[in-house]
Amino acid sequence: MSSPEQRGDAIIFESVRLCRGGSCTLDNVSARVPRGSNTVLVGPNGAGKTSLLLCLLGELRHEGRIRLVPLTDGSSPRLALVPQQLALDPHTPLLVQEFLCLGTDRWPLWLGCRKNILSKASQALAQVGAAHLLKAHMGQLSGGELRRVLLAAALLRKPDILVLDEAEAGVDVRGEQLFWQTLDEARRTLGFTQLMVSHNLSLAAHYASHVICLNKRVQAEGPPRLCLGATQLLRLFGLPIHLYPEQCEQDVPECPECGAFSHTEELVHTGEESQTKEARNA
Amino acid sequence: MPDFAPLYALLGCLPFDCLQLRFMQQALLALLLLAPLAAILGVHVVNCRMAFFSDAIGHSAFAGVALGLLTGFSPLWSMPLFGLAAGLAIMAVQQKARLAADTAIGIVFSAVVALGLVIVSRAGGANRDVQGFLYGDILTISQGEIGCLALLLILGIVFQFFAYNRLFLLAVNPVMARAHGIRGALWQYLFAGLLSLVVMFAVRGVGVLLVTALLIVPAATARNLAASAGSMFWWALLVGLVSAVVGLLLSAQPWLATSSGATIILTSCLCFALSCLWGSLRASRKML
Repeated sequence: MSSPEQRGDAIIFESVRLCRGGSCTLDNVSARVPRGSNTVLVGPNGAGKTSLLLCLLGELRHEGRIRLVPLTDGSSPRLALVPQQLALDPHTPLLVQEFLCLGTDRWPLWLGCRKNILSKASQALAQVGAAHLLKAHMGQLSGGELRRVLLAAALLRKPDILVLDEAEAGVDVRGEQLFWQTLDEARRTLGFTQLMVSHNLSLAAHYASHVICLNKRVQAEGPPRLCLGATQLLRLFGLPIHLYPEQCEQDVPECPECGAFSHTEELVHTGEESQTKEARNA
Repeated sequence: MPDFAPLYALLGCLPFDCLQLRFMQQALLALLLLAPLAAILGVHVVNCRMAFFSDAIGHSAFAGVALGLLTGFSPLWSMPLFGLAAGLAIMAVQQKARLAADTAIGIVFSAVVALGLVIVSRAGGANRDVQGFLYGDILTISQGEIGCLALLLILGIVFQFFAYNRLFLLAVNPVMARAHGIRGALWQYLFAGLLSLVVMFAVRGVGVLLVTALLIVPAATARNLAASAGSMFWWALLVGLVSAVVGLLLSAQPWLATSSGATIILTSCLCFALSCLWGSLRASRKML
């Protein structure tokens, strides 16, 4: 079996620009998403990560080109999105099983969900470890449960490309870890390409196979070990962040009051200095 | 035009004195067509937070009638056509101008009401005719309008068959819905068009001032009563139908003798209040 990298690219961003009123959210972004990969978009707030996803989904008009590479049989890839939130009034009486039927079946809900769709829906829920939620109300789900249901809804579409916009945000540490793990297992089983925006760098380092560091422009792109190194993260976030122990060159001082390692003003200052130095060297 | 005489004869068999009169039979038949149609569309009006939209369309009836009177067209035609145009204009302003929904609606709302006022102030004699549309009168509904309503009801049911899931998903997360292959703009325009036409007929029934209530009160009541999104549709239909029939019959009783449109709306508001009470009782029982 060929590795994901040998199977070529699923998405190619070519000089994507998104500018309005003189300021650019995306400036000449060129990047690739390898087929079958788990590609994670990282960057600070306002870096244009969600905008890039919206351009991909055709929601924002942009300059440049975004190519969805056709599948081996020549057909266009099928997209699915796991959004961050739903605009659902908590009192709307929408059941999880109905929500899953909504996205997959055109048979109207007022005539009931069809049996075959229901069985597919419960399979998809089982796949994300949420089989018990089938008859729950959407408005009463916890943050973690909602993420799983949204993932199940996206998987039901049998996507070739799964797009996630900070889908794990607002979930506790354990929930987030479980979400990434479930996602990773689903990707390996179903073989889709995954493109996600995330702020969790350590989980990205562990689960991603390809990383795009974005801050209006692509700052780095490649395997996580290369892109999420201390130098790249300092340049991206302006803060010393060490995901790999051997890169902890800086002696991080602990807080005199609580004893924890924190990004004190001094550290931020150091970060800015290093950034300026790097920029000068460049 | 289909002959509704057998239906009138059937309605005349109901054990209510007031239903022996032809105009009451016509009014009841019109309501049996209009109330369920408004109620099932109201489900999306509530889900998509479009109450203000339907209110604006209702107010465009004013300009529609005024334009009809000015140009010599029958207001029965100029009103629905103008309402349809106003509904599609709101959707277009919303989609193209990247404005918040309420701002887009507010702009078109002001424009159509101002247009109506300008025309009416110029053609002074139109005032009385326009007033009829402000307050509505289901008792004067014509055979032709009942025929149009029957067609609209069929269209509404067919539309709901294809659009119910799509509009629900669009209301829940439009970006996800579009990413999952739903042609958002197409369904939203179709819904806006159909809703505009239904609102125009609802204006004839209950008047501009109460038109939104006919759409949203049954759906809001259904939301309190229904256990699922599927049953919300049937609850809305039932509440719409029951409050229309009960309201009409109550208004025709000699001891009450009130405006039929307003009585219908009050009946459905009473249903809503009862549903809230039932909802809070259910919630407190769950707590125990």
